[in-house]
Formats: sequence, C-alpha cells, structure tokens
Amino acid sequence: MSDEQRTVTITVDGREIECPEGQMLHDAAREGDVEIPVFCYEPKLGDPVGACRMCLVEIEGIPKLQTSCSTPVRDGMVVHTRTEQVKHAQNAVVEFLLVNHPLDCPVCDKGGECPLQDVTTGWGPGKSRVIDEKRHFEKPIELSPLVAIDRERCILCYRCVRFSQEISEDAQLQLLERGDRTFVGTFDERPYVSPFHGNITDICPVGALTNYTYRFRARPWDIEQGGTVCTLCPSQCNVSLTIRDEKVKRVLTRDNHDVDDGWICDKGRYGFEMFEAEERVTGPRTKGGDALEWGAAVEKAAAGLRAAGAGKVAAIVGDASNEEAFLLQELLRGALASPHLDSRAYEGPDRDVVLELTQPELAAKVKDIDSADAILVLGADPLHSSPILDLRVRKAIRRHGARLVVATERPTALDGGAEAIARYAPGETSHFIGELTKALGGEETVATPLAETLREARKVVVLWGQRIDHDSSFASTRLVELAKRLELDATEGAGLLEIPDFTNARGLREAGVLPDAGPGLTETASGRSVNEIRAALESGELDAVVLFGVDPLRDFPDTKAWDAALTAANFVVSFSMHETATTAKSDLVFPLETHAEKDGTATHPDGRLQRIRPAASRPEGVRPNIQVLAELASALGHDTGVNSQPTAFAALTNGVAFYNAITDDQLGGLGFRWQDGPSATALPSSSTGAGVSSPDTQRFSASGEDTPATGLLLGTYRDIWTGPVTELNPPLRFLQPKQRLELSEGDAGRLNLRSGYEVRVSSDHGSVDAIVQVKERIPDGVCFLSEGIAGANANALLNGGPVRVTVSQPERIEA
Amino acid sequence: MSPVDGPGVSSRDLPVDRAVTEGRALSADPEQIPQLADVDCPSELQARVEELMGRYPDRKSASIPALWAVQERYGWCTPEGIRQAAAVMRVTPAYLESVASFYDLLHTEPVGTHRIEVCTNISCWMRGGDELLDAFRAAAGEDEDDFFVTGFECLGACDIAPMASIDQRYYGPLEAAEAGVAIEQLRAGAEVLPAKALAKRGLAGDSPAPGASSIGGAI
Amino acid sequence: MPHELETRVLLEHAEDPRLRTLDGYKDLVSGYATQERAYKDMEQDEVLKELEDSGLRGRGGAGFSMGKKASFLPRGGMSKYLCCNADESEPGAFKDRELMQRNPHQLIEGIAIAALAADAGHAFIFIRGEYEEQADILDAAVAEAYEAGYLGTNILDCHRDLELVVHRGAGAYICGEETALLDALEGKRGNPRLKPPFPAVQGLYGGPTLINNVETLSNVPRIVSKGAEWFRQYGTEQSPGTKVVSVSGGVRRPGNYEVSLGIPTRDLIYGLAGGPLPGREIKAFYPGGSSSPVLTAAEGMDLPYSFEAMAEAGSMLGSGSIIVADDTVSIPHMALRTARFYHHESCGKCAPCREGTNWTVKMLERVVRGEATPMDLDIISSVQENIMGHCLCVLGDSMAMPVAAMVRKFRPEFEQVMAAAAGGIDPHVVVDAPPETLGATV
Ligand SMILES: Cc1cc2nc3c(=O)[nH]c(=O)nc-3n(C[C@H](O)[C@H](O)[C@H](O)COP(=O)(O)O)c2cc1C
Ligand code: SF4
Ligand code: FES
Repeated sequence: MSDEQRTVTITVDGREIECPEGQMLHDAAREGDVEIPVFCYEPKLGDPVGACRMCLVEIEGIPKLQTSCSTPVRDGMVVHTRTEQVKHAQNAVVEFLLVNHPLDCPVCDKGGECPLQDVTTGWGPGKSRVIDEKRHFEKPIELSPLVAIDRERCILCYRCVRFSQEISEDAQLQLLERGDRTFVGTFDERPYVSPFHGNITDICPVGALTNYTYRFRARPWDIEQGGTVCTLCPSQCNVSLTIRDEKVKRVLTRDNHDVDDGWICDKGRYGFEMFEAEERVTGPRTKGGDALEWGAAVEKAAAGLRAAGAGKVAAIVGDASNEEAFLLQELLRGALASPHLDSRAYEGPDRDVVLELTQPELAAKVKDIDSADAILVLGADPLHSSPILDLRVRKAIRRHGARLVVATERPTALDGGAEAIARYAPGETSHFIGELTKALGGEETVATPLAETLREARKVVVLWGQRIDHDSSFASTRLVELAKRLELDATEGAGLLEIPDFTNARGLREAGVLPDAGPGLTETASGRSVNEIRAALESGELDAVVLFGVDPLRDFPDTKAWDAALTAANFVVSFSMHETATTAKSDLVFPLETHAEKDGTATHPDGRLQRIRPAASRPEGVRPNIQVLAELASALGHDTGVNSQPTAFAALTNGVAFYNAITDDQLGGLGFRWQDGPSATALPSSSTGAGVSSPDTQRFSASGEDTPATGLLLGTYRDIWTGPVTELNPPLRFLQPKQRLELSEGDAGRLNLRSGYEVRVSSDHGSVDAIVQVKERIPDGVCFLSEGIAGANANALLNGGPVRVTVSQPERIEA
Repeated sequence: MSPVDGPGVSSRDLPVDRAVTEGRALSADPEQIPQLADVDCPSELQARVEELMGRYPDRKSASIPALWAVQERYGWCTPEGIRQAAAVMRVTPAYLESVASFYDLLHTEPVGTHRIEVCTNISCWMRGGDELLDAFRAAAGEDEDDFFVTGFECLGACDIAPMASIDQRYYGPLEAAEAGVAIEQLRAGAEVLPAKALAKRGLAGDSPAPGASSIGGAI
Repeated sequence: MPHELETRVLLEHAEDPRLRTLDGYKDLVSGYATQERAYKDMEQDEVLKELEDSGLRGRGGAGFSMGKKASFLPRGGMSKYLCCNADESEPGAFKDRELMQRNPHQLIEGIAIAALAADAGHAFIFIRGEYEEQADILDAAVAEAYEAGYLGTNILDCHRDLELVVHRGAGAYICGEETALLDALEGKRGNPRLKPPFPAVQGLYGGPTLINNVETLSNVPRIVSKGAEWFRQYGTEQSPGTKVVSVSGGVRRPGNYEVSLGIPTRDLIYGLAGGPLPGREIKAFYPGGSSSPVLTAAEGMDLPYSFEAMAEAGSMLGSGSIIVADDTVSIPHMALRTARFYHHESCGKCAPCREGTNWTVKMLERVVRGEATPMDLDIISSVQENIMGHCLCVLGDSMAMPVAAMVRKFRPEFEQVMAAAAGGIDPHVVVDAPPETLGATV
C-alpha cells in the first residue's frame, strides 16, 4: 500500500461513497452504511480467500457476480447488493451453508451472538428445503483444555486455520480431509496449544469453537461488556470484559490497531479466574492472619512507617497504575521524607540514561513495526515478555517484508523468521551492543552480519528488553549510542520500543518511582536503588519497606539475599493481589484491585496513556488503592488532595509535566501518546547529553573450548506461563511450566545428558532441580533456566551478575 | 432483561465446566515442528526428503513427494513417518497430515500391501465396473494385510473399461473372473494379467476395424 | 494402418515403441530440430507470433488461445514459470495419457519451446499420481533430454537455462484446475485460488506462470517448425488443428482417435469407435467429458466436432472426450454417477460447490431409490442453478451443467425410474427410450 492513497468515488445501491482506492469493496460499502454479509472475510487475517461466497454482489460491466470481500474498488464502480440476481445468490449460499449445519441453536453457546444466525435472518431464504441426513461428528470434543470444537456446526470458513497459519504461525490447526468431509483438526488429534489460540473463539462465526470457561455461563441478553486494559503484561492489550452478576465471565478482544491489532494472548483471555482464587487477598490482615478493619489497618500502617523514622523507609513498586505510583512517591518523598524508591527488579540505568531513552524522537510506536524496513529484537523474546508484539513482528515480516535480526542470549520464537541471529553470552549484552554499534560504523566485528541487514534498512525499529540490564553489564547505557548510530532519532517511523518487566514500568518511572528521578523524571534528592534498598534493609540502615505489587522472593534475583533483607526489616507492608511468599513475611498486608476492578491509567511502553476502567465489582473488603494510599498519606500528616480517580488523575498530570495537557476525554477508548501532545516538550533533557558511556564490563565467553570445567554459564529468562496466572487459575493450570535446563547438544554430550533426564543445577548461591531439554540453536557453554518457577526458581541461583552452574544427576549420585 | 417469560436464569443455576473449577488437563503433547534430534528419522528417508526439497525453488513444494517417500517406507503415511518428514522439512506434522489427507492416493490409515483401485466412474460403470469391484472384493476376502481393494473415480483409462489399477499399473478390459486370477498372481508374486496390461496395448485405431453397427453406419 | 477418418499428427508413428526414446524421436520425426532452431535463430516474439497466428486453442478444457495466454506474461527479469497440466482426471478423458506414454519427447520439446515463448526458466509437469507408468516414462525421457543438452543450463550453447521437474500428484481431480495445481505444486492442499490475479501475472511462487495442457504443448513443436498456415489447414476457422479425441462408453472400439477438428461427430462415434454395441442404440453422449451437458443422439450426432458447434448446441468440446450412453443406460443413474464424482472431488473450499454437490448426490440417491417426488426434481434443478456462477472455480458448474441438462432433457425417464424404484422394480431394467432420443435410431 502506498503512503498517500488516492480517494475514489463508487456507487453502491445508489449511494455515492468516497473511499481510498484499492480498498476492498465490502469495507467501502460498510463506510457508506451498506452491509454486505460475510463469513470467511476477516481483514485481520490478511488477504481474503473468497471461500464462503456470501458476499457476492453485482458490479455493472461484469457479467458474473463478484465477491465484494476480494474486489478492490475502482473509481466510478457501480455496485448493486440487493438486486434479484444478488438476492438469489445470497439465498443460495445461506441455504448451502445450512445443508450440513445442525441448527442446534437452542443448545448452542453462540446463540444470540452468532453471525450465522444474523446473516440467515437477514439474507437467507427463510425456509429450508433440506430433508436429507446431515453429516455427523462427535460433539463437542476437546480441541484444547480451553476450547471445545463442535465440527457439525463448522461452516468451513477457514478463519481459525488461517489464524493458525498466518497470524500465530504455529501451523498446528489445519483442515483435514477434503470436500464436505473436511474438518478442522490437529496432527494425530493432539491438543492445539499456542499462547494465542483463544483468538479462534472470537473469530469463529458460528458455535463451532467455544470456550470451556464460558460454556453456558450466561445468555447474551443478561451480560454487559466493559472495556478496559489487560495489565497482565506490558503489551497492555485492550480488552472487553463480559460481565454477569458483576463478575467477569469472559474476556474478548477490543481492537486497538495502535496497541494489539485486535488480538490478545491466552493469559489475558483466560487469566481472570484468578480474580476469584482462594489465595486472593480480600482485605487488610496482620502477619498473624487476623483480618483488620480498614481504619485500623491504615492506622497500623501509618504507625509502623512513622516508627521507622524519617528517611528510613523504602518502597518498591511493580504492579501499579500511574495514579497509584504517583501517590506512592508522594507518600515516600512527601509524607516520609524517604527518597528510597525503585520500580525495577535489578539495577537499572541512572536518570541521565533514562532521559536519553525517553526522548520522543527516539521512540517507536507499536504501529511503526508494521511498516519497518528492519526490526532488531535485542535481549528479549517477545513471545514470553510481550506476546502480542511477537504477532506484530510476524505480521511485519509476512505482509510488509520487514527484515528481522535477532540478538539475544537465548533462542527466541522469532528466530525462524530472522535473516541474521546473534547469540551472546549472559554478561556480554553490553559488550555485544558495543560491537554492534562499531559494526554499524563499518568495523568488522562479531555483529557484522546483523549490521549489514540493518544498514540497508531505512526505518529500523529496535525492540529491546529491559532485561538487557539483568546481567548488570549496564547495557542500556550503550543503547543510546546504538540508537544514534542507527539514526533512529532522525528517521520517521524508526525508533526504540522497550519491552519492560513490569506491565506499567514506563508509567511508574514517569510518575517518579525511581531512586534518582521525581515525577516527570525531574531531578530529585537521590535515594537508594533496589539492590541498595535490599542491602540497607539487611544491614539495618533502612527500617521499613512498602512492597506494592511486587514479590521479590519469587521475581527478583538472589532469593536468599531478599529473604534475609525481609527478615531483618522491622516493618514490611505488602500490597498484593494474592498471598505470596513475600506477603507471608509481611507485617501488614493490603489487598490490590485487579484490572477488572481498578480505575486508573497506565502508560504503554510506547508512551500511550490508556484508561483502566472498572467493570466488575471488587470483593467486599477490597477498596480502591488510590483511596487507601491517600488516607495513609494523610494519616502520616500529608494531604495529597486525592479522594477519587479524577482527583488522582489531576494530581498525576499536574505532577508529571509532560502529561500536563492530557485530559481524560483524550484517553477515550483508545488512549493517547503523550509524545503527540503539546506538553511533550516539558521532558527534561539529560545533563550529560548523548553517548553516555559505561564501564566496559568483564567479558564472559560462551565458546565451548575455553569453558572452564567449573561448569556452564547460566542464562535465565521468564517463561510466559510462570506465576499466579497458571498457579491460581484453574483453566490455565495445565500450562504451569516445569523447570527445564536447556543446553546444547554438544554440552549434553559432554555431560552425557539426554532430554528428559532429571538433574540438579547448582551455583554457589543455591540449587534447583530441573528436567534436561537439549535444544537446537543454543551455543555450547551456556545453559538456561526460567525464573519464577515455584519450587525451582532460577532466581535462587543468581546474585546480580552472571553465574556458572554445575549439573548433577541426583539419582546417579545416590546409585 | 431477559425476553423469555418468567425469571431469567441466574448464573448460579448454570453449569460450570470443570475447566473453571479444577482445570482440564492436556490429553497429549501438542505437536510443533519437531527437532530432528527427537524423531530419529532413517538416514535414507532424510536424504531422500532433502534431495526432493533441493528440486524446487521452495522447499515446501516437496511435501507431496516427501509424503510419497514416507508411504513407500512405511506402507502408509504413519504419524511417526509424518513427524520425521516434518522435522526434515521444518514444517509442522499437522501441515503434512493436512496435505496427506487431501489426496486419495496418500493413506493416513493403514492399508494392505497390494493396492487395487477399481474404476467405478461413468464409462467403467457402463461396462461392469461395479461387478468388477465386487469380484475383487470377494477374491481378496478378509486378507486386509495383503490387499487394499477400493472403488475409485475415473482413472483415465475408459478405453479399457472396465479396468483396475493394481499396484499403480493399469489393466483392462477385465472380466469379473479375472479378479481372482490377479489376486492369485499377486499372492504368488507372478506377473499380473500380462495380456491385459495397458502398457502392452497398441493404438485403438490400429486394432481391427469393427463392423460399425449398420443402423448408424448406414447413414 | 490408420482409418481414413483419422489424421495422425500428434500421434504420427505413435504405434512405434522407438518413438519413446530420444533416438527414435529424432529418427522418426526429426525431433528436437525445432527446439534447436528456435533456441538458435528465433526471438521470443517470433515464437509467440507463430503460436498466436496458428490459433491453437487450449486442449485442457477452456479452449483459450495458447499464444494469447503466453503473450499475457509480463516481460522483465523476475523468475517466470511454465506448468504442464498433466492431471487429466476428468471422466472420459485419457488422451494425455496416450500422448505421454507414446511420445514423451514431443511434450518435452514443446515445453522447451513454450518456455522460450514465456521466457520461463523453470518448468514443471504436474502429472496425476495414478499415471505412475507414464510418469516413469517421462522421468526417463527428461533424463535423456538433460543428457543430450536439451534441458539444463546453457542449453545448446544459447545461454538459456531450463529446469524441468516431473511432479507427481497424489489423487485429486481438482488439482487439474490451474490455480489449484499451483497450490499443489507449492506443496499445499490443492485448493483453487481467487482470480484475479491470474497465473499469467501472479502464479507459481507469486511469479508469472504459463499453464498449458499436455496436448496443447505437444502441438507446439510442429506449429513452430511447419508454421501457423500449415496448422490451420486442419480443423475449422475457430477450431484449427487436429484433436486427439477420447471415445468411450457404449461403443465397440473405445479409444483415442486423432481427427481434424470439425469432422462430423458421427464419424467419431460410428466411423472410428464403431458405433453402439450389437443390438443397442445410442441414447445420448457427453461431447466433452463428464462436465459437458449431455446431448441426445438426435441433438448431437450430426454436429461438426468443433469448439464452436458444441458451444452453439449448448454444450462444449472441453477436453475432447466423448462418453456414449446407449439405451441400456439409465440416465438418472448416470446423473448420480456424475454427481458423485464431483461431490467426491470437490475441494471443499467454497460453500456452493461443497454443499451443492453433496446435496445433489443425496437427492439423486433418493431418486434412484424411489424415495423422491417430482418436486425433488424441481429442487435438483434449482440447486444446479444455485451452484452455477456462484463458485470459486468451475468444478461446481461442471456438475451442475450436465446434471441440469439430464434432468431437463430426460425428465420423463427420471419420473419413470422413481416410480419403478418405488414400485420395487429394479430401475436398471431400462425404461423405454423417451421421445427425445428416438431420432438416433431413425
Ligand atoms: C475442475 C477442473 C479440472 C480441470 N482439469 C484439467 C486437467 O485435468 N487437465 C487440463 O489440462 N486442464 C484441466 N482444467 C483446465 C485448467 O484449469 C486450465 O484451463 C488448462 O490446464 C489450461 O491449459 P490449456 O489452455 O492448454 O487448455 C481443469 C479445470 C477445472 C475447473
Ligand atoms: S471452526 Fe469456525 S472458524 Fe473454523 S472453519 Fe469452522 S466455522 Fe470457520
Ligand atoms: S466473505 Fe467474501 S467469499 Fe467469504
């Protein structure tokens, strides 16, 4: 598609319609309020297939009827959609589609919200002439533990299988057999499992694909839809919640082309059952587990924090809205005169670098991925850290021919589509980025193959993981040089797009939850960073800590050290959605709202402020967190002037200079990027200016030969399915990952290990049990474990920098 | 509000699937693109599939030939064989199964060693194709390990109707009685119906001119 | 000694087994001389012009001008492809089988020359999987041609390359449809594609692609060597050339006969194929394969056998395959066989074909079981109308046209068969020939 498109005029049923040249006739007609029925057509799925024939229309000058879903408009086209000839065709197609359809609407989940029902009433013959036997299948059967398939209802529209081929590209869902014997299935009747497969239930135009989680739980006329944002990962997909009896019963997509392109992952779709979990914190409680009445709880918290004394309280913030984050830094800086705040799990860049990386001209929009010439995936696997971006990158390659290069420690799901791949060793991220920057400057380095692709591209989008700082090699400080070298700042449609660890990491930073930056990334008295806080708690220099939406004992590196810190602390207040190892060690625990209950805003990694709207009722005993924080602040003698979402939003936009001009209306349903607003200029500029250089870090080699006998270098990642979403959420329980030790065929050979062996992996910090997984595309000398896996958490082996591990086989040792 | 008369059902009355209460378990492992290391593909098969991929500008074009190779190796397109070919071709087994199940000559279920396809389409049907099929079925009897007998659409040999394709070679015109003979010859490993092999026929136009039926010819 | 009604051009020396080998092909019909001349001394446009002037029409069914189609391919550096359609799966058609079996090199040379006209560097012969015998013969011939330097790189030192791959299908009639053939060649299920874009513009692997039938391409060497004028001495103005016609069904000497297009149909059915079996009379016939509307003997027997005459009679010449139904054949049963075929072969992609063929079969089964009423005959007819012109490709129409024609022309026989079956009489004990067909016996 060319950038500036010509508009043309066509006539549909006598109406003149202005539309972009080349637009599909069906879509153009809709803009003129002429509805043409379709089944197989779904623009989200890419090119039309013209299979169902429902959309046939008459075009003057063409004798045969044409499928409007696949006919691009030309200027002056004259189209008829209700002539006798067309009606004849529409009746015919509807009748054909029903020849084999069971018409079991009364017992069908789709009933009442079914395109087949709608089209049949609207465009069908109104009577059936079919008296012959219909085809039979066992119904319904498990397509997966989440989706039931009823093959008798399937009208073979191709949508679900096209999703599997062309969107998620897992190619697991296929058409089997031929003709009217065709059915939708998988290899060898295996379950269809992909992190996105729930989308097929949204696009199926009949009741053939339905969610077990929703089966018969409501009738279409006694539900309501509530639009909000999924906060289970940084993709912040827009979702629509199906509410019945004030509870979430279903999660649907709410297309936002700037964010999710109309897809959501299965975490977001099926993750809501955990809102009802046993483990949900449903009210304030003491360490002993005694429930507290709210007034008393706030008083107790105030007392504990007051007792710690000025400057001796710290806060670590993870899952929070912008408003909550803003109030938290008010609470610490204002009420407790403590600047010790962080919103990261490990050491990150200092304010100057953050400012550099936040410059609007360096920023890429999600949409920029679609039209990028080249995409660099750096230090992240989108599938695990921001699933919907994985789909977006695939789309860019498939439909726009974008060229992909991947530079990561661990093989990614996108490797298959990559032109060049670089694997660097844990601890080498910073060094590698340096080498890539040099290579782009023309030097011969290890990164030259990647540089070649990138150099040929004009619009480059860099998807980088906040994780690049995970190995303490100060990698993000190198990112700025790389970005400048790629001239991202000078190229429209090019830029950096971060994949952070916490959903709202950007919002937290910009609201002022950083040790060295206040709201709007302003300069402030600098406090302690996350690791310093941990150390200070252990040494007693800090007395109390507020943990808001974080679980350091699961999610932060060096579990042992964190355990010591929380044990040593005099007063630990946790705000948490569920009971966790961390809440178990807390003196006081407050509940958190879910994104179905919360009222607030979050900031997408590309700078888009989005509105989280309450759709479901909170468990009684849970209160709006902003109110709790405001009350806590005033109990400590600091008036925030906040008593509602509007007042909290006002406080936020006043506090964050570059949010100033943004209004709630502006956010509307689809959000608003602050970089596009007038107050964007209020972003402070970095004092040091470009090219913040970093200490060149020690190098760890990944190459086989000089791997010392002391063992393998350990890299870690965060599997998409770790955590409460699979542990506390029955529908997704089957996805709960086991700890797998991934290593190369070479190393497996040396250590005579085979896939499936049970082993113990130990560093000098601790050890975990894992199952061996020999994996292609892993270099010798390195191995990988997932963080956050209950009972076998890789974080227990880490201590900031990269570590080496040894692998042993317990049962061998015993034997 | 509910358009139906009487009290609308409340969600408490509605059944809840066990996916919600305890969660459903995986019935089997999902199958993505298998790693070569995990399928132990016979080296000849791997070499063959790789050679086939080499013939085409796009490796995927080799899927039908690759499935033929799998069928030659295992007698039919076994799930294991499909996984092996898939691993070599770097596609999902589901993709290959989808292709295999589309085509009549690729079998995704076990079949007998000798494949006998009897044409029952128009021209053969007019000349006794149905009876021929019955005869082959009867002759092969229960012996499903050795024989796979099936009716088939037009095999492109209406000139020798009624005809059959036996192990991918054409024979006709056949008398019902010859079905038994052919089955015995196959059992014995002997040459099948030498006189009826298509390969041995001349051009129809060179066969003795038939006294054209007077009625028509006269005019 | 061929019958005087035959005109053997493509089948010249076809009775001689030596023709199958490269040497035989060279000795008997000075094979590959034309390719050599074309490659050495002819421009792409000269070849194209010769083909266009010859008026050669596609022999695969659609009857579109071969030269014109070749000229549709865009010029330029992109890789272009040539596909030979050897899927021959339409009931009644078996002429490509004969041509490949007896004269494989004629096809290969035709492909080599057509590739020059289309500027294609990669060619494929998509042959139906059932034709294993013929595929083996082609493989051997292709190997010989590579060996002798008529295929491969820098052919005959003319700085032209041509790779030719024999690709075996696996049993699906729909793969004969040109875009389904492309999908099958790309390793997918053989589903037809939306047109436009047409293969000539965007075909195999997205590149411009020329698709022609075996017989069409087999005609190319002689046209280029002897010229368009020579070719036009055979056939009619609108149907130039000779045609290998497959005649089968109720005739004494079924087989392939090469004739000059336009000869009386009667000469083919009676003169060459020997007319009906002893004591039988011809009731009707498909003039162009099972997808052509049947003609009663009265309607069709004395029509010239040409594209235009058959079209005028409301049928078509199609692939040039005549299936003869004599008076022992029950038309409703024949309609059922026909419908069953298309139902079995429908790819299932588009609804009208998938469900229409299925529904029609079920209704016809009720007809021959005597479980139908005259109203069902009306529904059958209207369902055929509902299919026609509404499908993604013409497979659906290929059933609808003949079935509709049979119900229209033989309605009394349908009703008699229904009644007979309902009355427990074997409907195969055939009813008196309905009036329309009597003409044949006069
Ligand atoms: C359902 C269907 C089946 C077809 N089968 C064949 C076939 O077996 N062989 C063939 O040459 N053309 C077949 N055709 C016609 C092809 O689509 C195409 O028109 C032809 O191969 C072009 O070659 P030609 O122009 O030389 O005839 C078929 C068409 C349809 C719709
Ligand atoms: S299951 Fe639904 S989406 Fe898939 S082909 Fe059938 S009707 Fe279409
Ligand atoms: S919507 Fe156009 S063919 Fe299906």
